[in-house]
Amino acid sequence: MDETVAEYIRRTVLKIPRDEIKTMLEKWGFLSETQLQTVNFHQIKENISLDVVQLCEENSADIKQAAVLDIIYNHIYPNKRVWSVYQMNKRGEEMEFFDLTDFKKKFKRRLRSALKNVTINFREYEDNAIWIRIAWGTPYTKPNQYKTSYAVYHSQTPYVFISASVLRSNLPLLCQALVVASNYHDIREMELRSHSLNSLKDIVFKRYSQNFQTYYPRPLQERNVALESADPRIVQESRNEKERIQRVNREVFGDGPQPKLEFAQYKLETMFKSDPKMDVLDKKEPFRCLVKFSSPHLLESLKSLAPAGMADAPLSPLLTCIPQKARNYFKIREKKGFFPGSFVSP
Amino acid sequence: MEEGKVYSPDGVFAHLAMLEAQAHEAAVKQEEKEQQEEKLARLKARVQELRAQRDELRAKVDLQQKGQLGKEGVVSDPAQPSARAVVEWNIKRIKAMLQVFYLTGISGKLTKRGVCFCISTAYEGTYLDSYHLDLLTKPEEVQIHRHSIPIFIPLEQIATKYLQTDIRRFLAVLSDHLNAYVGRRYQADQLQEHFSNQIEGTLQRNSLCNLLVFNYNVSKKSQTFPFNARLLYGDLCCSLPTEVIVSCTPDAPASLAARAAAHSDAFRRVALHKAFRSFGSAAESVDGAP
Repeated sequence: MDETVAEYIRRTVLKIPRDEIKTMLEKWGFLSETQLQTVNFHQIKENISLDVVQLCEENSADIKQAAVLDIIYNHIYPNKRVWSVYQMNKRGEEMEFFDLTDFKKKFKRRLRSALKNVTINFREYEDNAIWIRIAWGTPYTKPNQYKTSYAVYHSQTPYVFISASVLRSNLPLLCQALVVASNYHDIREMELRSHSLNSLKDIVFKRYSQNFQTYYPRPLQERNVALESADPRIVQESRNEKERIQRVNREVFGDGPQPKLEFAQYKLETMFKSDPKMDVLDKKEPFRCLVKFSSPHLLESLKSLAPAGMADAPLSPLLTCIPQKARNYFKIREKKGFFPGSFVSP
Repeated sequence: MEEGKVYSPDGVFAHLAMLEAQAHEAAVKQEEKEQQEEKLARLKARVQELRAQRDELRAKVDLQQKGQLGKEGVVSDPAQPSARAVVEWNIKRIKAMLQVFYLTGISGKLTKRGVCFCISTAYEGTYLDSYHLDLLTKPEEVQIHRHSIPIFIPLEQIATKYLQTDIRRFLAVLSDHLNAYVGRRYQADQLQEHFSNQIEGTLQRNSLCNLLVFNYNVSKKSQTFPFNARLLYGDLCCSLPTEVIVSCTPDAPASLAARAAAHSDAFRRVALHKAFRSFGSAAESVDGAP
């Protein structure tokens, strides 16, 4: 077995939390049940990884199997990477059958014709997600397994989720291969980025909770009864207002959990509006300003702003339009009222 | 600190404590009074109820005596059904109507700026997912404001064709697409769930479930999967395939090859999991025949 492959497997195993190593190796399926039983998974990770490498040596693992282990790791811990969303366009209206084998073939052929030294691996999952792992080399060097890009594509959708590596120069190659393999015409990057891959999917596939008005009987929401059983001598002076805020909040955000985004960025290119007497800027130029909201869970915190009394309800549409517009990077130019910047042309 | 007008011998805090105790007493008394009043009101209502019941029974007895009792129980009071009964009947009727609309698959509710439609899907008696469409009805055009239609359903195409001109058709076509999609998905899921030991690995499918490829066998115990099926669903509004190719591995016995054609026909005509069920029973009958 190649030294580099052994080292790569060892480092991949070291990344996995100790309690999860056994399960992940079972998912991998490369080592047999009997082989796994010979490993003591309670020792320190350093030793576990060495034992695993030893077993892989017995089975003569090659880079392909090692890559599969890497995909499995990234599939279970996708939040360690930053994912961007790309949108593809096609001009025709023909319905595609989307044959998986066809897709894989076209992708590999296209990518390899541009750059021979790449390792390409695919893995399909039950939700119709196709995970593609690419390790990049150069025309003169072998692929570097530690510089990988991941692309996740759901068939017959125009969206691809890409976690590029440090080598952004290879991105156009990847995009081209995706477009060709999926029978689209062009691709552009959307202004939507997050660590949480599933939340990005929820946003563009419209799987997040939207509050639709219907007669369909929904289970009644339990009111927060704890508030009302407090000391009867305490009177809620602004009960109506509180209820209005709850209602407005629910209309905007829906009842369910929000997709998980870490930040929203607003690039302002608007004129600074000040008291004319102050004459702060004698040159009438746009005042460039960048506003960035960060949070471990941005949308949930926005949802709790009004009920916590920190903001007026309804919130600014600039904040609440994020899931619907499927973007968390905005450019605000000078226009009447609010108008988020138009798409940057591809 | 301001000088209080009242000086008590023990100090301000003691005074406050006394006031609090007084307030507490007053509150307790007030509560008692309210409870009494509540009880009184309840008893009064009960009296009313009992009186009404008594009147009802009296009326029944009268009618019985006059010998006009026809079907039992219907007599109660033909002239003046109680207001409460009317309201209840109305509520029941409206609920039934809403249920009917829901069962037809397309229901809608007027919103401030338009209509919100709910398309419910089902396949052969099993209720599946519901999808929503929030439309804005502006004077010049109808716009889709929000929706929860899956991204791989060609919503934009259907909307471009029908939304402005014929909303009914738009909804019908969209409903057909959605129902067919969930139908195809349901069949594939059923196949994967109930016949997993007859299929090699997992089904190869795609988001729309309009292309299925798998290797299979008809008997549950065999380790080989001589048949290969490739089902294409060319019509997105249909839950049956338009093209079926069933082939055998080259080294398969001739008897199996002959059956491939029969399978192909079955896949084209009936639901996927039902076709498989029929293979199973056919295989058993063949094996059982002497």
